[in-house]
Amino acid sequence: MALLQIAEPGQSPQPHQRRLAVGIDLGTTNSLVAALRSGIAEPLADAEGQVILPSAVRYHADRVEVGAGAKAAAAIDPFNTLVSIKRLMGRGLDDVQQLGEQLPYHFVVGESQMPFIDTVQGAKSPVEVSAEILRVLRQRAEQALGGELVGAVITVPAYFDDAQRQATKDAARLAGLNVLRLLNEPTAAAVAYGLDQQAEGVVAVFDLGGGTFDVSILRLTGGVFEVLATGGDTALGGDDFDMAIAGWMIAEMGLSADIEPGAQRGLLRAACAAKEALTAATSVVVGYEGWQGLLTREHFDGLIEPMVARSLKSCRRALRDAGLEAHEVEAVVLVGGSTRVPRVRTAVAELFGREPLTDIDPDQVVAIGAAIQADTLAGNRREGEELLLLDVIPLSLGLETMGGLMEKVIPRNTTIPVARGQDFTTYKDGQTAMMIHVLQGERELVSACRSLARFELRGIPPMVAGAAKIRVTFQVDADGLLSVAARELGSGVEASIQVKPSYGLTDGEITRMLQDSFQHASDDRDARALREQQVDGERLLEAVQAALAADGERLLDAEERQAIQIQMDELRSLLAGQDQAAIEQQIRRLSQITDAFAARRLDATVKAALAGRNLNEIED
Amino acid sequence: MGNLCHFARFDLKPAFRIDLDDLGVRYRKRAREVHPDRFADAGEREKRQVLEESAALNDAYQVLRSAPMRARYLLSLRDGELPLEVTVQDPDFLIQQMQWREELEELQDSADLPALAAFKQRLKAAQERLNDDFELCWQDSARHAEAVRLMRRMQFLEKLNHEVRDLEERLDD
Repeated sequence: MALLQIAEPGQSPQPHQRRLAVGIDLGTTNSLVAALRSGIAEPLADAEGQVILPSAVRYHADRVEVGAGAKAAAAIDPFNTLVSIKRLMGRGLDDVQQLGEQLPYHFVVGESQMPFIDTVQGAKSPVEVSAEILRVLRQRAEQALGGELVGAVITVPAYFDDAQRQATKDAARLAGLNVLRLLNEPTAAAVAYGLDQQAEGVVAVFDLGGGTFDVSILRLTGGVFEVLATGGDTALGGDDFDMAIAGWMIAEMGLSADIEPGAQRGLLRAACAAKEALTAATSVVVGYEGWQGLLTREHFDGLIEPMVARSLKSCRRALRDAGLEAHEVEAVVLVGGSTRVPRVRTAVAELFGREPLTDIDPDQVVAIGAAIQADTLAGNRREGEELLLLDVIPLSLGLETMGGLMEKVIPRNTTIPVARGQDFTTYKDGQTAMMIHVLQGERELVSACRSLARFELRGIPPMVAGAAKIRVTFQVDADGLLSVAARELGSGVEASIQVKPSYGLTDGEITRMLQDSFQHASDDRDARALREQQVDGERLLEAVQAALAADGERLLDAEERQAIQIQMDELRSLLAGQDQAAIEQQIRRLSQITDAFAARRLDATVKAALAGRNLNEIED
Repeated sequence: MGNLCHFARFDLKPAFRIDLDDLGVRYRKRAREVHPDRFADAGEREKRQVLEESAALNDAYQVLRSAPMRARYLLSLRDGELPLEVTVQDPDFLIQQMQWREELEELQDSADLPALAAFKQRLKAAQERLNDDFELCWQDSARHAEAVRLMRRMQFLEKLNHEVRDLEERLDD
């Protein structure tokens, strides 16, 4: 009788059948990809052994550079080097103009409301830029794991709204990734910690990254991670600390605030270095172009105090939403590089009355948690071992009603998936259509909420005002993405949409980008082949030219010389163009026509050698 | 499955007094079975069904977890759907409502946090009294009108609770 095979916990009984899935932390400053290998979730390194990929993309005329090389070029090539692009995901042009002074890019208007950035390779949307980062991580994972991925879990800030989530999913699609799930970053971090420590009880995750801040309060019970409340700020992060220091430097140097983009990037880099130094040191000398100043940690703490206060306020709100007091939280987890700032740590410790946990590298913990969940979703875990993540929507969803007010249909911190309907009626006699305006946010005025979509329910049978009964149903899936349907209950007239955010890409734009990216792959191949042909052609031209100069007069008649000349001119003009096939053909033609000439030259050389005289002497 | 009774989803008999911890345990067990994450590989049709099932479970849990919503649901099981907003014929309570609101407005002006905490305590005690009263009468068809009236009061206090939370947020600046 065969022995029963016993697998280690967390390991598939048949490792070779493991389905490859990864977790990706697509961050504002840095991105990572992690996977489960031999039962341990770990970040995957590139060929140089680096696990962190700086989220920087530089567009060159003929290629795209992602990572450290691009980041280093931010100051010298600011318009083509895009950093902190996550801050623009799912944002409208208006939002961007608010952030505008901090961003050196040239913005252009696309087909949708999304801001496109003008680069040497044309206009790029934040979605395309993010896709470049994801593509590099995908390739890294496929190389490291030795196979194609069945999918990826991609993390997003818990506080991302529907438009920002949709934009992230679109970026993954462009990068050729199958998205198993969009996972909230704090939830991912809780998974990484929860598994590691077999924790039970209430946990708070404080996640301060480069550009976003999240706080989530979770209850952990036997492998179930139940998010009780989440809060945050999608425009608060370490970048703001850098800007605060840069602002201080500008004031100290007596510069005007209007600084050209290259210098701005240089200042921010010096500011960021100072911030990092202050994690260990109590003061640091900041230098910039000959200027030097002393920044103490105390002064730095003062500079960032308003931002720290904002983050704590979000924490208190999340606690209230969870119906808990700060002391009821049994563990506090720190996530994100910006939680290395000492003032942040002490502030969090004071609020919760306990020392936060930092055992897992705050830069890696989100990707690690995502990898664990990806493994579950890919079906690699055995029955009963699966984790269950019960997440919530971060912001209320609702509809515009009379008078420009927002009527909430699903309040924030409702567990997803969720489906909920609300009934409305017509306000005019004989009204046959109704505009449905979908909103997200906490404020009462429509103008203070984010507009997600507008659509129209047409074909309502004419009735007196108030007689029609229109049920609008909101459905939010496990990714936190919303779809809305409207239906007149009497007649059954129906309209529904998958919410395409007002600030998202249009279908046309997505189609074009997908085509571009397929095209891109073959473009790369074609470009290389073209360059090779061009080099070959130039070499041939030079060789023929030299041969003509040496022996043309002697070995060829005028007609022959003219025929060669025509073919050479033809090749020369083709080399200036892009038609690789035509160049190849012309190279062949020129070679053929000069074959006879080459043979004669060889002949002459041989004869000369036989005669023991050189070519010039034969003529004599 | 879509129209299954909220209580039946958790293998419970309709009741107002329920053990919330036990409900949580039942919820997590059911959620494990029907969460879309368990069906990442399924076909579109099955995925859609699971999504609906999972959403319905979450909805049921939310209703049963909250006393006012649970009360309302119990009454609707017997009487059918009750309108959410009605003109309440409850003069005594109307007067009390006005007093609560005035007090809350004063608290907003004074920004007196200890007084706000005390207000919350009183609110909580009032809610518990209502729960006790409702438990005594909701199954008694002779006291039906009273049960509906108590349920409306519970709803009002819940709304007031939200207002207190909003006030706390405004004061937290």
